[in-house]
Amino acid sequence: MSKTGAKNKKQKNIKNPSRPKKDTSAKNIKKKEMLKPTKEKTVKAKKLKEKMVPSPTKKQKKMGKTAKIKKTKEISKKKKKIPKSAKDKTLKAKKLEGKKAPAPIKKKKEKKKSVKIKKTKGIATKKKKVTLKSTKDKPKKLEVKMVPPPPKEKEESKEYKKIKEEINKILKDRFLPRYVVDNIVDRVARDKKLNSKLKIIIDRILDDYGKNLIDPTEACGMVGAQSIGEPGTQMTMRTFHYAGVAEINVTLGLPRLIEIVDARSIPSTPMMNIYLRDEYRVNSDLAKEIANKIEITKLTDIADIEMDLINLIIYIKPNKKTMDKKGLTLEEILERVKTVRKTDAHIEKKAIKITLDDPGYKNLQGINENLKKIKIKGIDGIKRVIIRKESHEGYVIYSEGSNLKEVLEIEGVDPYKTSTNDIHAVARELGIEAARNMIIQEAHNTLSEQGLNVDLRHIMIVADVMTADGTVRAIGRHGVSGEKSSVLSRAAFEITVNHLLLASQRGESDKLNGVAENIIVGQPVNLGTGAVELAMGHGKSKKKKGK
Amino acid sequence: MDYTRFEKARIIGARALQISMGAPPTLTKIPKEIIDPVEISMLEFEEDAIPITVRRDQ
Repeated sequence: MSKTGAKNKKQKNIKNPSRPKKDTSAKNIKKKEMLKPTKEKTVKAKKLKEKMVPSPTKKQKKMGKTAKIKKTKEISKKKKKIPKSAKDKTLKAKKLEGKKAPAPIKKKKEKKKSVKIKKTKGIATKKKKVTLKSTKDKPKKLEVKMVPPPPKEKEESKEYKKIKEEINKILKDRFLPRYVVDNIVDRVARDKKLNSKLKIIIDRILDDYGKNLIDPTEACGMVGAQSIGEPGTQMTMRTFHYAGVAEINVTLGLPRLIEIVDARSIPSTPMMNIYLRDEYRVNSDLAKEIANKIEITKLTDIADIEMDLINLIIYIKPNKKTMDKKGLTLEEILERVKTVRKTDAHIEKKAIKITLDDPGYKNLQGINENLKKIKIKGIDGIKRVIIRKESHEGYVIYSEGSNLKEVLEIEGVDPYKTSTNDIHAVARELGIEAARNMIIQEAHNTLSEQGLNVDLRHIMIVADVMTADGTVRAIGRHGVSGEKSSVLSRAAFEITVNHLLLASQRGESDKLNGVAENIIVGQPVNLGTGAVELAMGHGKSKKKKGK
Repeated sequence: MDYTRFEKARIIGARALQISMGAPPTLTKIPKEIIDPVEISMLEFEEDAIPITVRRDQ
């Protein structure tokens, strides 16, 4: 198309070269030329230029120039856009001191990586697409592979390694977090011009990094506590929200923040975001299938239970429609019903007839109650499920209630993305580091949801304190504060006399490390200027010696 | 050795106390209008003329 278009325009230009239209056509051609410089086009463009040169008036020349400038501006804008985001990233990384990037950023990175891989392996993605299409057509025939693809670290190409080595040479003994280094490598690999300026770049990054580091003995915990506490006073006391997803009610705001900090064993509104893998993600039928596996279905949800009080028999009459919806058969229900003790069940005319081993009115009532509680399908604790199609993720299941352990075991669930707001469950199933990340994420989300911008590092230190000993501990009486090793510190916090009495009985000693202890004793606190020990001598002369 | 801001404050503070109690300044060319011991000790700190440093054992 572009070829013929160029031709037409060329012809027009030849016909009436003084018209201003020519300029625009030239512009277009140039644009195309810049975008995809093929030999033919450039040749044509050159010819065009040659033809243009003798005829144009001054005005046209000017116009051409301005057009050029505009174009270049546009292009430069486009170019600028990319590095900006990258810059933000590096900045963020610096903020986090590169130790542990919080989950969302990591995810983004992974996404980008996967995109890159797709681009480079065009053939592979094409094949995938074909399979996806076929699944749409006939979903049930397809056999799904069980192997969950672990998010592989993108293999470092030789180029990356080379740049990394170079950076390490420049760094020598100086330290930069790995995350920052990786970011530099990424940028330099993309933009070759930066390679020559690597030394300057790294020096400046080191400068900035040093400025962002916290001085030793600074009371960062106190600053963090204040920085979360003050915005907390501005939070709306009781807020219940429909958090984006239809109808699922999630505790947010102050109640949720208190819940996180108190490390409640079960959140007041547990919920999960269940992400799906591969075919399940794109195919609505498969997604529904998983949703059915997850959502708890009780006997009363799909069938009527009728008691025949005269013959002491219970009939279970399933509703055909709901049964189909849940993908259940009468046999499956029978199987579950048979687990009830002291009964005998068999199918009779599309219903299940239950007779008692030991007939009696009281037994009948008891068994009726038991039947109501029977779980036919699904996972304990997950009360309701909503499937939504997200623009980038495909189908995502949101659930009311949470059971991370069992949901992760279901085939088709993406274990790398699925999350719950039950922090203790995360700690149990995925480990303390994951729990720490969840605390950070949840606290940050609840705060920013109310428009309170608390720096991530303050929240990180709270999460670190909560998870430092390998378990999730609450901040407060039952957790961190109550388990302090120092007697005086505990006494200063609560029930002073009791703590002192018990400590004296046990003969405890106090190392006087904390703030409260030193204030009680009347010493300078071991923080900030209080932690500095002076000595005779010159400071800068030490530098010459080599330190 | 780079001092943290706490160390700098502590050194300048300690030196200012000495000067305020009559210690002779280590610099000879202090402008006449500067009388404040803190300011004098800050000048001295800039010149690395304070015979005080910091012990970092731990």
